[in-house]
Amino acid sequence: MADLVSHPDEVKVVSRRFGQGAANLDRYLELDGYKAVQKALSIGPDAVINEMKASNLRGRGGAGFPTGMKWSFVPKQAPKPKYVLCNGDESEPGTCKDRLILEHDPHSVIEGVVVAGIAVGSHTGYIYIRGEYRYLSEIMQKALADAYARGFLGKNIFGSGYDFDVYWHGGAGAYEVGEESALMESLEGKRGVPRIRPPFPAVVGLWGGPTVINNVETLASVPHIMLGGGEWYASLGTPKNGGTRLFCLSGHVAKPGVYELPLGYNLKKMIFEVGGGIRDGNKLKAVTPGGSSTPVLKADECDVGMDFDQLMKAGSMLGSGGVVVLDDTTCMVKYLQRIMMFYQHESCGWCIPCREGTDWLKKTLNRFHAGGGVEKDIGNIQYLAENMLGRTFCPLGDAAAMPAISIVKKYRNEFEDHLNGRPCPLEAKALEAVPA
Amino acid sequence: MPDVNITVDGKKLAVPAGTLLIEACKSVGIEVPSFCYYPGLSLQGACRMCLVKIEKMPKLQTACTTVVTEGMVVSTEIDEVRQARKAMLELLLANHPLDCPVCDAGGECELQDMTFSYGAAESKLIDIKNHKDEQQWSPVVYFDRPRCIMCYRCVRICGEGMDVWALGTANRGSAQLIMPNHSDYLECEECGMCIDICPVGALTSGAYRYKTRPWEMKHVGTVCTHCADGCKTTLGVRRSPTGMQIVRGDNRDKSGINGDFLCIKGRYAFDFASHDHRIQQPLIRREGRHVPASYDQAYEHIALRLKEIREQHGGHAIGVIGSTRTSNEESYLLQKFARLLLGTNNIDHHRTADFPSFAGALARKKDATASMRDVFNAPAILLIGNDPTEQHPLLAWQIRNNVRLHRARLYVVNSSPIKLRRQAASFTQIPAGSEPQLAAFLAGDDSAANALASGEITREALAALRDKLRGEPNLIIIFGSELRGSSIDSLVRFGAAISGAKFVCLGDYANSRGAADMGLYPDLLPGYVPVGSGARFHEEWGAPVPTEPGMNLLQMVDAAKAGRLKALYIVGANPVARYNLDPFALSKTFIVAHDMFLTETALLAEVILPAANAYEKSGTFTNTCGDLQLLKKAGDITTVKSDFEMLLRVADRLGFDLRQLVPFRQAERADLGQSRGAQSGEADRHAIWLEAHGLEPKLSPFDPIAMLDEIQRLVPGYDVSRVELLAGNDQHTSIEAGVASSIASQPELILPANDTLFTSGTLGRYSRTLNSVIENPRRAPADKADREVVV
Amino acid sequence: MAVIKDIAAIAKGMSITLKEMFSPTVVENYPDGPGPLKGAKFQERFRGVHVLQRDENGLEKCVACFLCAAACPSNCIYIEAAENTTEQRISGAERYAQVYNIDYNRCIFCGYCVEACPTDAITHGHGFEIASLNATSLVYRKEQMLAPLPAHLGSNAVFNQAETETGTPAVRS
Repeated sequence: MADLVSHPDEVKVVSRRFGQGAANLDRYLELDGYKAVQKALSIGPDAVINEMKASNLRGRGGAGFPTGMKWSFVPKQAPKPKYVLCNGDESEPGTCKDRLILEHDPHSVIEGVVVAGIAVGSHTGYIYIRGEYRYLSEIMQKALADAYARGFLGKNIFGSGYDFDVYWHGGAGAYEVGEESALMESLEGKRGVPRIRPPFPAVVGLWGGPTVINNVETLASVPHIMLGGGEWYASLGTPKNGGTRLFCLSGHVAKPGVYELPLGYNLKKMIFEVGGGIRDGNKLKAVTPGGSSTPVLKADECDVGMDFDQLMKAGSMLGSGGVVVLDDTTCMVKYLQRIMMFYQHESCGWCIPCREGTDWLKKTLNRFHAGGGVEKDIGNIQYLAENMLGRTFCPLGDAAAMPAISIVKKYRNEFEDHLNGRPCPLEAKALEAVPA
Repeated sequence: MPDVNITVDGKKLAVPAGTLLIEACKSVGIEVPSFCYYPGLSLQGACRMCLVKIEKMPKLQTACTTVVTEGMVVSTEIDEVRQARKAMLELLLANHPLDCPVCDAGGECELQDMTFSYGAAESKLIDIKNHKDEQQWSPVVYFDRPRCIMCYRCVRICGEGMDVWALGTANRGSAQLIMPNHSDYLECEECGMCIDICPVGALTSGAYRYKTRPWEMKHVGTVCTHCADGCKTTLGVRRSPTGMQIVRGDNRDKSGINGDFLCIKGRYAFDFASHDHRIQQPLIRREGRHVPASYDQAYEHIALRLKEIREQHGGHAIGVIGSTRTSNEESYLLQKFARLLLGTNNIDHHRTADFPSFAGALARKKDATASMRDVFNAPAILLIGNDPTEQHPLLAWQIRNNVRLHRARLYVVNSSPIKLRRQAASFTQIPAGSEPQLAAFLAGDDSAANALASGEITREALAALRDKLRGEPNLIIIFGSELRGSSIDSLVRFGAAISGAKFVCLGDYANSRGAADMGLYPDLLPGYVPVGSGARFHEEWGAPVPTEPGMNLLQMVDAAKAGRLKALYIVGANPVARYNLDPFALSKTFIVAHDMFLTETALLAEVILPAANAYEKSGTFTNTCGDLQLLKKAGDITTVKSDFEMLLRVADRLGFDLRQLVPFRQAERADLGQSRGAQSGEADRHAIWLEAHGLEPKLSPFDPIAMLDEIQRLVPGYDVSRVELLAGNDQHTSIEAGVASSIASQPELILPANDTLFTSGTLGRYSRTLNSVIENPRRAPADKADREVVV
Repeated sequence: MAVIKDIAAIAKGMSITLKEMFSPTVVENYPDGPGPLKGAKFQERFRGVHVLQRDENGLEKCVACFLCAAACPSNCIYIEAAENTTEQRISGAERYAQVYNIDYNRCIFCGYCVEACPTDAITHGHGFEIASLNATSLVYRKEQMLAPLPAHLGSNAVFNQAETETGTPAVRS
């Protein structure tokens, strides 16, 4: 269980109930629990979707697709059952927000699933939790059992005549399953590989039925939007980027942690004020603004508002909100090597560019960082990454390629410092600093 | 469906809505490369080779998963696309070993071809390639992981195509690999389709491994000589001390009725041809021992004895038994030889289905038989009896894929839960042996339901099935040898009420249908014409032919035992083992046998002639559906001769004018116009063309095409297009002249082969590959028991 | 005058003769010269009878890929391939040439086979005395063309043999 952090600039919406024992159903009810479901039942599906559209809520998983629009794509009439899926396969390096929500406020996720179900006319929801979060599954199981016991789930919820079942499902430890169609394959008991799209999940999803799939944080925001109103939520952020989000500040900052800040919050301010600056008085070198898959920003590029559109303009992405801060003791080659090891290990192997590209890049970077690099490797790393980008079956290949391209472009000099059999200069420096 | 207009590389084209972009490109000759896309299998989008630029889309799109939409503008030859293809190949080759010189696929490898067409010659990889040792998955399948490019074709063809699901994937990322269902060995039908479909050399054939290279072989597309389905198999032939050796069978030529399909027998069981036990020279029994003799001595001996017996005892003292694996021309020649030369109607063969009754029931019905291709396209199929998965693998493939790709409705009625029930819309299990009652019930005899109903299968369920079937227009009715005689009549009566219904009668060996069509019956001339009414044959043959029905096979044996049958001429048959005959019954009879091996029957013969098999001669085969196909000679083996030639040599020694037997040099020419030009050398070119197609120029009596002329002229239903036939296409024959026949359809003579996937009568006994699969210690024992070799 | 002209011409001619008498001979003294080559001299790139090479482990380099046979314009190479087994390993790869014949009746020494060889297994040696009155003997078999075992493997074999025979390590000079 992680310690919670806070900062005066925070706008607590999703994290409102953190640290207040809201995993307990009674306590949750005291904190306006399950009111959103009742409201949704009373206003009906169309009003719920309109409220969601008004809130400008964009998917918190990484792609940032407007949630209201996603829900409205689900056909009203469908021959097969519709499903709501909660994607709790949070595996992006640098991201740890869903974990806190599931730990401190599991009922808000359940509530979000039920509201989404009401909005699209579904009667079944699944909460898919990544395999490594086994302890969170226990919390979720208890929360579900409690909700069933009170009649908040199951047949005739809140006496409305509406049936809704929610199940939890544990993953087996695959980053790839965080991709929505791979998650559905996994949930169906198959190998977690992505599906061909179109058809999109909203039309043909889980078990062939229309499916809404959202991130944990997205669904946890839903009850607050239902109660506070879409316009209120939209006003918290910047235009087209409604609300707040959980930023997972990690790396070489003095006070790392999960902070809920409005969208559009300045990145520099986030590092130096919210995060308390760089540790040990070092200098800022680079920031990965949205999880390891997003392109890095150099220190002088950090004066940027943290929302989908502004970061896009700055050449990066908001992604999953995992802000990784690197100081000047960091070797960027080593950093890229570590990222690539992750993606090589997590590539599902379905398509050629990702399977072979990550493997090739990992091998090259391992050798390169160890001092075996040659001049043409630098160009080759960029060449490989550029040829993976946009050509893979699912976004995992892009996720591996984007940081590689940006790091080689922005920190080419560090790569050149590794050439000709020289070991990592920063590592050498670090070793010198160690007293004999 | 309405057409959609798209533009590809500036070419405007209209294709039906729902077409995949890759197919649309192919239709105008624009090649979009791909590994994982395979027509007829599910889409993967995994190899990323078919990326193309579609206007208004930010990223490159895979042509294999994109369905055409109105106004789509596609570019396949711009630099961005070219670079994507090149990069994809570079990535693929990163971990692909460069062992092309030893790889069996070298020379016919899609990855090689693509690298030459689109790729980069130099590798940028400096690091060590991933390696994994080669594995043997079964006696016939080897897997070399490093060569695998993960296109999943094998997984899909095994699962979707074959319904075997023996292959899957394991691990992930660069450690991902194809893996069999038992982790290190395959529990499957050993069809080898995974090897054929593999675009690289990851899956290799145990029978062909490291033997030669593709360009060193001559590739001959001929018809498989095992079951009665008539698959086209491409034999890879190379020279050897005996003339030629078949080193490989596969399905590179996909033009046959089998399309992508080939089973273990068509692919591997050619090796009987080079078995050590093969008879290499004529044998004559002297003082109780078979001693080698020259062909001349053997012919002389046979002619002398036959002449003597014919003169002393008359033709009826001689019997002839034909084969289910000789060509139509040989079967025709054999019955002509018997009737014309020996003056006997004592002709029979090993019957595996009641074709005469079938012909009788279908008499004067137009287009009532279904071809093998029809089975793939029919909207509904009724299968009664038989287990096609084991006995008719191609038929099973056609049915299975018709259901999968065209959503055909399959109705299965069988006494055991056969595998095809998995594709069936309805499966009805009836008590063993009650198939005739089913036919009667379908034809309207409600009382027959008593014998069928049991347990879940109620009379109501049967009636419902019958009603449903009656409402299926264009139904194809397929039945096994369980239905004979009047049951076939009943079934045809039932079918006659359904518009467009067609039939398939299932026999067992490669040319069983041909043997029946060519009149290897004591009472039927070719084309099921009764011996008493064969005026046109008599006219053509120009000699009196006995009109009294002769003895059937069992009667001949009885007559031999009683001393009335003095001689028995057996061509490519083993009735002693098949019908479990008492060998001593034939001890007083002069027996001539044409055979490849010293079978139980051949051992009894006084003269044994070494016969060529179907891969060593040209001619035609008719499969069980009635599809006529051309046999192409893979090559000559110096030591053996075709049955056709040997029969003629014997006829010649008997003092017969061969022109009367084979209408060579007097029939229509088999050429396609090449020899009609005025320039010198044209005639030679014609001869070269015939040679290249495995046909002898019709200048000699040994040319089976000359016999085919007569067959096409005289046998009803065989007047199919000669050009199509010679071009290697299948031609569906029809049954036209059948009449109800009393002797021919004696049900007790019908003896199904009961072969499994891994047995094939005598030929199977001499196939090392088939035996190695049966004896494979890793195969489950229970499975082994029911695949016991049936002779 | 004519006489003087004639004498001058003879003198000119004889001077060349005299000069050449003292310069070294350029004619090869084949076949009466010294050494195994009997006086024949070769350019390094001379294309003679083929040599099938071995690798450093003494295994044959040829993997029977048939590319030489495919490249051969006179169709003089005949190969039969076979698979290596763990008990009997002939070449470094999975396959080896069980039969490798070159028909020197037909070979035109063009060197395409050497160009085509992916494993550098076939090379041109300097053998040239292959003339024969019997055409059959011009079909060379693999054994006739195969390079001898590398020296270290050969000497090891002798060394080990001596060791086993005498029971003591043989003395190496």
